[in-house]
Amino acid sequence: MKNVKALAAFAAAVGVGLLSGAAVGQEVKQDQKSQIGNANVAPVTQDQLNAADKNTRDFLLTNGNYAQTRFYPGKQIGRDNVKNLHVAWIFQTDVKESLETSPIVVDGVMYVTTSFSHVYALDAKTGQQLWHYAHKMGPITTYCCGPNNRGVQVLDDRVYLATLDSKLLALNSKTGEVVWTTNIADPELGYSETMAPTVVKDKVLIGTNGGEYGIRGFVRAYDAKTGKQLWNFNTIPDNSVGVWATKDATGRDMHRNIQAEKDTLAKIGDPFAKLGGGVWQNPSVDLATNRIYFVVGNPSPDLDGSNRPGDNLYTNSLVSLDLDTGKYVCHSQYIAHDVWDLDAVSPTVLVNVKDKDGKTIPGVIHAGKTGHIYVHDRKDCSLIRFSEAMVPQENMWVLPTKEGARMLPGANGGVEWSPIATDPGQELAYAINLHQPMTYHVESSAYPNGKLWLGGAFKVIPSEKQSGNITAVNYNTGKIKWQVKTPEPMIGGILATAGGLVFSGEGNGKFAAYNSSNGKELWNFHAGAGVNAPPSSYMIGGKQYVVVGAGGNTQLDFKRGNNIIAFTLD
Amino acid sequence: MISRLAICSVALLLIATQVRAETIEEKVEICAGCHGADGKPIDKTIPTIWGQQAGYLYIQLRDFKRGDRKSDIMQPIASQFERDDMLAIGEYFSQKPWPDLGQPRAPKDVAAKAVSASGSVGCPACHLDHFQGDGTVPRLAGMGRDYLARTIADFRTRARGNNPGMSDLMLATSPDDLAALVDYLAGL
Repeated sequence: MKNVKALAAFAAAVGVGLLSGAAVGQEVKQDQKSQIGNANVAPVTQDQLNAADKNTRDFLLTNGNYAQTRFYPGKQIGRDNVKNLHVAWIFQTDVKESLETSPIVVDGVMYVTTSFSHVYALDAKTGQQLWHYAHKMGPITTYCCGPNNRGVQVLDDRVYLATLDSKLLALNSKTGEVVWTTNIADPELGYSETMAPTVVKDKVLIGTNGGEYGIRGFVRAYDAKTGKQLWNFNTIPDNSVGVWATKDATGRDMHRNIQAEKDTLAKIGDPFAKLGGGVWQNPSVDLATNRIYFVVGNPSPDLDGSNRPGDNLYTNSLVSLDLDTGKYVCHSQYIAHDVWDLDAVSPTVLVNVKDKDGKTIPGVIHAGKTGHIYVHDRKDCSLIRFSEAMVPQENMWVLPTKEGARMLPGANGGVEWSPIATDPGQELAYAINLHQPMTYHVESSAYPNGKLWLGGAFKVIPSEKQSGNITAVNYNTGKIKWQVKTPEPMIGGILATAGGLVFSGEGNGKFAAYNSSNGKELWNFHAGAGVNAPPSSYMIGGKQYVVVGAGGNTQLDFKRGNNIIAFTLD
Repeated sequence: MISRLAICSVALLLIATQVRAETIEEKVEICAGCHGADGKPIDKTIPTIWGQQAGYLYIQLRDFKRGDRKSDIMQPIASQFERDDMLAIGEYFSQKPWPDLGQPRAPKDVAAKAVSASGSVGCPACHLDHFQGDGTVPRLAGMGRDYLARTIADFRTRARGNNPGMSDLMLATSPDDLAALVDYLAGL
């Protein structure tokens, strides 16, 4: 890896040839061994984490704070001076593959992750490497959409990491040494981990991926000190049938053949054991009520509903649990018996919202692959409203066919795993969207013992134009306030700041700042690789920084890189 | 070609029933008969296993033993091995260098067609950048052309039955596009 302070030097370094070696692989084959180091970092207390939403010095959680607002309260970088933003440093990781990491910053130390579950501790002021944990991956990994990792969290003096081969680790935050390791689930059966853990009240909360492999999904709590499992919540309950909903959350008919499903149910019974229901992103935590809120992904197999009768609870749903026990509190399903993989993946956000009577109540919002932002009552998960569609919707909900049926949005959304940001002062939620016209194809096959189990295919239509957008939605009215179109579908994430800005990146390498009230572009930078990761912000030495990963994206095949880039003002 | 394969399989079966292999080198001795002593398969329809992903090789051995992947040659061989043997064999071959089969690069128009088809169903989402594979997903770059063509055809008919997800994706792709993909991947 290299730590390059000047852009010119960076360009020269790239020119030297990062793809050295005989095979042009996805990894930069340099030193792949862990390097124990010394990060002079103070332990993180639960009180600090609880107050992360007011902390301008650090960026302590994957999505900024437990409410996951991705609203950074500092405003040194504002609408007037953002044009002067320049590169403070660039850190090049050892791994040149999809970067989805959310950098976190603790007491001047930044923790970032890369594909294949590497972790780096960096000096947040200089970009100098303090230590590097290179996970020794087991030979068996089964994952969807890239060997991604979305980040870590720190509590006390430990950094928590979940790995592609489905392990949970605690690392020493000063040195990078492994404190404990726990096996979460068997990768041979299709389980993998790409999400960042959420650590709260000595519990490490983690979901699982595997909805493309016929797993039974879960969210679990592990003891932060020992790694011992404290509770498990199956995202697919023993009774997954539900209420035979014929319409989606927005009231549109999903063309289910309920009688045929009931006949299948009578023949094969409840399909809960291999029904999928992965959880891709962090839960939000309501510290006042001791509840967590997260969304559950698609049923398995994705496109073939013929052997999974019923609503397939709690796939494609918002779910709330009690933090201490993992017991079910409430849920709200967006699409019952989904056969389009238009599932729920973007992390939930806790904000106060107006209910149907205009009264302000605690709310929880989620941006769907459907292209709607859904606004719920936090008390019982019930849906209050959904936003105008942020992307074109056509032919919904046509059923997939063998030959392929065209429907918009395509299966990546709308809003993919990308976290949204909110600005409560403006009552706005900011979401990045994809527009990828696709055809949906169905095929039937039996459960393949932990192998890819799509039940068909979703195919991008090469002749149709793709695009993306950044959309600001008023979550109290559901109306779109502004929208900026981008030339390519957007995936990665967004950050809002008290400086009246939002920051987000594109697959073509552009990283830009926009006026958060009207979407006007105020600054941009071209990173040379896809900027498909959520930005973060922090203060050090009296200066505000914005940091983002530029490593491209596997799922959309955006140009790969290995850069963590920090920006600041002079 | 058929006779070479037949000789190869008969010879291997004899070895398979006679040798009680102890070390990893003894266990993999049998593989060289078909997959090549230098990593280059003796026949174009036989896959390259030198430099292949360890997890993928393990899963294939497991599936041959289970009967999930059909092969009169591989099933009796894999059936001798326990899980740890299979993992060790996968690891052993993954550490070998990938052989250059000397296959030509696809012409530009063929490559463009292949890249478009690949992007349409999202091949790089699993096989990764440059089709190097990872974990249980195989490397395809530089794989034998005839093996690629036969495997894709077998996925389409589900004769290759141990990955229905791949069958679904191949069935959703036109034969024309798949032919371009074969040439493209072989030439990488």
